[in-house]
Amino acid sequence: MKNESATIDVPAESSSAMKGKAPLIGLARDHATTGSGGYKRGLSIFDFLLRLAAIVAALAAAATMGTSDETLPFFTQFLQFEASYDDLPTFQFFVIAMAIVAGYLVLSLPFSVITIVRPLATAPRLLLLVLDTAALALNTAAASSAAAISYLAHNGNQNTNWLSICQQFGDFCQKSSGAVVSAFVSVVFFTILIVLSGVALKRP
Amino acid sequence: MEEAKEIEAGETATSSRKVIILDPKEIEAGETATSSRKVIILDPKEIEAREANQIEAGETSTSPRKVITFDPKLVINKGILILGFVMRLFAVFGTIGSALAMGTTQESVVSLTQLTLLKAKYSDLPTLMFFVVANAIAGGYLVISLPVSIFHIISTKARTSRIILLVIDTVMLALVSSGASAATATVYLAHEGNTTANWPPICQQFDAFCQRISGSLIGSFCALVLLMLIVINSAISISRL
Repeated sequence: MKNESATIDVPAESSSAMKGKAPLIGLARDHATTGSGGYKRGLSIFDFLLRLAAIVAALAAAATMGTSDETLPFFTQFLQFEASYDDLPTFQFFVIAMAIVAGYLVLSLPFSVITIVRPLATAPRLLLLVLDTAALALNTAAASSAAAISYLAHNGNQNTNWLSICQQFGDFCQKSSGAVVSAFVSVVFFTILIVLSGVALKRP
Repeated sequence: MEEAKEIEAGETATSSRKVIILDPKEIEAGETATSSRKVIILDPKEIEAREANQIEAGETSTSPRKVITFDPKLVINKGILILGFVMRLFAVFGTIGSALAMGTTQESVVSLTQLTLLKAKYSDLPTLMFFVVANAIAGGYLVISLPVSIFHIISTKARTSRIILLVIDTVMLALVSSGASAATATVYLAHEGNTTANWPPICQQFDAFCQRISGSLIGSFCALVLLMLIVINSAISISRL
C-alpha cells in the first residue's frame, strides 16, 4: 500500500501559545463585581446589619432578665417578698443561653465580613448557616421556656394549685416579660439570617 | 519530508482524511527542536487500519452498548439528598409520636386527704397543649414535604422549591424547639416545684402522668436535632447543585 500520509510541521511560534503565553482571548471576569456577585454582596451586607441588630436584641434580653431583682417593701412570716431571676432555674438558663447567643453573634461578625469581601465563596456562608442553626435552636429554647414560666407567673394554674405571682411582683414580671419579647425578636432575626445564607448559597 | 498532498486550506467534512495532532512528547527522537507539534494527515485506508485497533470507548449510535459514567460529584449529591429524605422520615416519627404520647395522657388519682378524685390531663396545662399542637403541625408539614423531597432527589432543576423547603424547615425548627422547651420548663416545674413562687410539685401525686409527659419530650428533642440536620443538609444540597 502506498503511504499517502503526509507530515506537516507546525511552526515554532505556536509553541508559546501552547505554553500559555498567548494573549487572552477574552477579558478575565472580575468576579467581585459581576451580576451574581453583586446581589450576593448585597445579601451579605444585609446579613451583617441583621447580625448587629440580633446582638442588640440578645444582649438586651440577657441584661434585662439579669437585672430584674425586686424586693417588696413589707414582709410577713409566711410569704417571700424578694424575687430575682436566680429563684427560677428556667430564668437562669435564659440568661446564660442569651449570653452565649450574644457572644456567638459577636464572634460571627468577622465571618460575615468575609462573605461581604468574597461574595462567591460558599465555605464561610455554609459555616455561618450551620452555626446559626444551632444558635437558633438554643435561642428558641431559652425564649420559649422563659415564656412558659412568664405565662405561669402572669396567669397561674388552677389545676396544679400554682398561684400567679405577678400581682405581687409587678416590676419583676414586667422586666422578665420584656426580656422574653426581646429574645423572640432575636429568634426572628436568626430565622431571617438562616434563610439569607441559604438563598445566597445558590450556585448561579 | 513529504509534502502535503492535495491539502487545501479550509477542507471540511467532505474529505475523508483524518488529522491527528501529536503532543510534543510523542515526537520521535531525531525530530528538530523548532517544531513542537506534529500534524499527520491520514489516508482513509490508514484510518481504517488504525481504528480497527482502537478500543471501542464511547461509541454511541453504531453500537448497542451504553456507557454509564459514575461521576463522584453526582453520586455525592444524590447521597446527600437521600440522607435528607431519611432524616425527614425519622423526624416524622419523632414529632407525631411525641404529640400522640403527650396527647393521650390522663390520670385519675384518689386524694385521701380531701376524699376527691383528682384528674390530670395534658390539657390542664396550656404549655403542654401548645407542645401537642406544635408537634402535630411540624409532623404534618414533614409528611407533606416527604414527596417534595423525593421530587428533589429525582430532578436537580427545582431551585425555588428547595429554598421554599429550607424556609419552612427553619420555621418548623423554631416551632418544634419552642414547643419542646416550653413543655420542658413546665415538666421541670411539675417535678421540682418552686419555693419562691409557692408552686408545689405535682409529680408526687400524679406519678404515671409525670412519667408519660417526661418521656414524650424525648421524641420531640430527637426530632429537633433531626430538623437541625435537615436544615444543614438542605443548605449543603443547595450549594452543590
